[in-house]
Amino acid sequence: MTSQVEPLYAINDLVIDLYAATVSVRAVDGVSLHVMPGETVAIVGESGSGKTVSTLGPLGLLPEGVTVDVRGTAKAGGKDLVGMASARLSQMRGAYFGVIFQDPISALNPMLKVGPQLAEQARRFCGLSHEAARKEAVSLLARSGIPDPEDRYNRYPHEMSGGMLQRAMIALALAARPKVLIADEPTTALDATVQAQILELIRQIQRDNDIGVILITHDIGAVASVADRVVVLYAGQVAEEGSVLDVLTSPVHPYTRGLLASVPDFRAEDRVEAHEIPGLPPNQIKLEPGCRFAERCEHVEPQCRVERPPLRTIAAPGTPHRVACPVVIRREGIAVQ
Amino acid sequence: MKSVLIKRFLLACFLIVAASALTFALVAAAPGNVAALIAERAAGPGADAEMIRKIGDELGLYDPLPLRYARWLASAATGDLGVSLRTGKPVAEEFAARIPMTAALLGGGGLIAFLLSLTLGIAGAASNGRLADRVIHGFSLVGASTPNFFVAALLVIVFSVTLGWLPTFGTSGFQSWLLPWATIALFPASVLSRVVRVNLQEAMSRPFATTGFAKGYTRSSVLLREALPNIAIPYLTTFGAQFTLMIIGSIVVETVFALRGVGAFFIDAIRFRDFVGMQSTLLLFIIFFVMTNLLVDIICMLVDPRIRRARSA
Amino acid sequence: MTSKLKQIKDWPWLVLSPVVIFVLIGIFAPWIMQYNPAAQNYDATLQGPSWQHWFGTDYLGRDIFSRIVGGARISLVAMAIVLVAALAIGVTIGSFAGYVGGRVELVLISVIDIALALPSLVIALALIGILGTGYWSMITALTLAWWANYARMSRAVVTAELQQPYIEAARVMGASHIWIFVRHILPHVLGLVVVYASADAGALVLAIATLSFLGLGVAPPTPEWGQMLVDGMSYIEEYPRLVILPGMALTLVVVSFNLLGEAFALQKVPRPVRGGLLRKRRRARAEEEQARQAAERKAASA
Repeated sequence: MTSQVEPLYAINDLVIDLYAATVSVRAVDGVSLHVMPGETVAIVGESGSGKTVSTLGPLGLLPEGVTVDVRGTAKAGGKDLVGMASARLSQMRGAYFGVIFQDPISALNPMLKVGPQLAEQARRFCGLSHEAARKEAVSLLARSGIPDPEDRYNRYPHEMSGGMLQRAMIALALAARPKVLIADEPTTALDATVQAQILELIRQIQRDNDIGVILITHDIGAVASVADRVVVLYAGQVAEEGSVLDVLTSPVHPYTRGLLASVPDFRAEDRVEAHEIPGLPPNQIKLEPGCRFAERCEHVEPQCRVERPPLRTIAAPGTPHRVACPVVIRREGIAVQ
Repeated sequence: MKSVLIKRFLLACFLIVAASALTFALVAAAPGNVAALIAERAAGPGADAEMIRKIGDELGLYDPLPLRYARWLASAATGDLGVSLRTGKPVAEEFAARIPMTAALLGGGGLIAFLLSLTLGIAGAASNGRLADRVIHGFSLVGASTPNFFVAALLVIVFSVTLGWLPTFGTSGFQSWLLPWATIALFPASVLSRVVRVNLQEAMSRPFATTGFAKGYTRSSVLLREALPNIAIPYLTTFGAQFTLMIIGSIVVETVFALRGVGAFFIDAIRFRDFVGMQSTLLLFIIFFVMTNLLVDIICMLVDPRIRRARSA
Repeated sequence: MTSKLKQIKDWPWLVLSPVVIFVLIGIFAPWIMQYNPAAQNYDATLQGPSWQHWFGTDYLGRDIFSRIVGGARISLVAMAIVLVAALAIGVTIGSFAGYVGGRVELVLISVIDIALALPSLVIALALIGILGTGYWSMITALTLAWWANYARMSRAVVTAELQQPYIEAARVMGASHIWIFVRHILPHVLGLVVVYASADAGALVLAIATLSFLGLGVAPPTPEWGQMLVDGMSYIEEYPRLVILPGMALTLVVVSFNLLGEAFALQKVPRPVRGGLLRKRRRARAEEEQARQAAERKAASA
């Protein structure tokens, strides 16, 4: 994996503080992650764990109404997005990244037709003429699995179903031929029957275009079916990361184990009952030393409460498997590189 | 769509008839009837009961109220609004002379309010909490709180008395219109700029605005391309309400600047207890209000694709 | 309950202070005024500001400061009477319509809708035309012009509350209509309507002044701001003070009420943190971070 291929998007030691009217929240607390060309990385965690903020924060895509402070680096296409002038950042957002949001019904502007927005993107970022851009938009709709794309081109969002809208959203995200596709919980708002289709579509697009995909989700099933690598976030920090196979079949961090155990019927031998992690995630308003999971952890030791657990790489072939829990590593005698 | 329009139109007609009936009944119930007033004006304070009766009979004042209303409405429909008790001229003639004046006042003021409110509201939203936003907010708060007769007085003090740039009254040329327009536009412009500002802010916090950013637009482009179309409905609705409220402004402005418009006619009718003039002006106002609201409704339907294309969904 | 308490704590109480000052001036006007606001003094007409006459005198030698303070009282009293009367009528009719429902409701709604088809001040003007000019006819006209808004609001609240399951429960337990209404529904109605009315008070102060300005409200010897302003218009070239002072007083009061209304309306809109507050919060965060690093270093070296 240590070839000369550069990651498409790499965030390093990212710290994001959010300031709202009454509270300051440390949403991301020293996260590093990256996505390679042709790779799908899943970011997993509870709501509030910093999944969305860490990936979309450097892009300036957090909702207005809070002040966002970003530290660290977020490199894309050889440039650092942190501290980039807003006009250039806008250009990067349009040309380099495509974003799919959770709820297509609220994420698509009710006053704008779907098709022309796609054509506009193709025109602005791929230098197509009006006519070519229109053709490209129709073709994009078709490739996104939308039947009768010529007709849908002139439709408003309210004239389409949720599943169709998410397909349109995907087409919109791809219209500028981005290098990185960020899918922020793309199936959460959809019917169960449509979810699998949308995931399949994302996977297919990833293969056809050889782009990097970041899939933000709390759906372990989705991770298993489409991702190559997983990053597990807890309270704004990386708890564990590695290949899907390593993390899902031999998780090490107590939080990852708890998360997997809370998924009903995930592993065949474990189908007795779904476990629940006791307690609630910390509020991230106060910065406290030590492991953020300590309060809920069954393996907790005194040092956990004062020392931040380092991210250690476990000896395993292939994709590095990293875990931020020295206690379990020591107790279970897991070899470290 | 078509059937909705027809329904709205019929409702508007019903509102006009009902509201004018109500005002007709109220005016008819007023103490001191029209016949007595006419007699008084013709013969001085000593008008006798016989004369009043005769005039009343001629005017049909002793017929049942619904009949009188029907008769009044029918003749109003043909353009006969009766004779003003104050000026002695047909009210229709007064209106013909005065409506252009008031229309120019409302049209100019409405246009200024429209342009100014959008400019200030968008500028405020673009500045988003910084100095310009606060200054505009302060301006709109004061503008929405200053009575328009005081605005008129201040404008006269500054532009006519101190600087001597603009005339204080009369309708000679474009310049003489500037102060009346500014006076009548300030209040609606202030209220509407708040509507623009607040709704733009709300729209910018919605997910589709984030999608706009993700499409690679700068904040000002998102504001204009994505957020602005979404505030059309609340803006147009409030604009309609403010536009009808400008009638009040026109009454004040026409009084202050000595313009001979409908508002001034209405105030004179009230002062001189000219019931015929009052009733006709009220009918005119009612038609103006109801039709403005109907127009706003129709424009809203045309603007919003969710309503315009409701059937094809 | 805690969220309610938090709301009360977070509420910008400072916004209330100008309104409170206005109300206090109105109440204590007789003690604040140095002169009888109607007393004429032909030896001291159109004087400039001085220690005897803080704001100077008008063309009849009346003390302008006293007249402005007296005007506050007139505005306050007239506004309070209209507001209370309009509220009483509006809440009664609106609640009745909403509670009774059926054909009665339909008729009452039609009346309310017709009344709302015209701007309130136009209705007030028409009523003054019918009733004649004068203080009480202005009060009556404004009341009759203002109730419809409250009626519509009350009806909406009552209709919504009647859908709540606890009303059905109370009914099953044998509570009477009056009891259900007074005990369960009226508090909700008043809660909303009073908030709206307090913000609406500014519009009412404006309406009173406008009517007086047009010569249809408070009659001359009584000090009233709109009326003082129209009085001063004849002297606008030499003595703009006569126009500006009452106008300022009026504007300040309306600004106060509008600030209050805005505070009610804008509570929910989130705004980004900026300026001094942001700097303070960033500093606090940085200090917290240093403390954490120090603690973790200490633990690592131990």
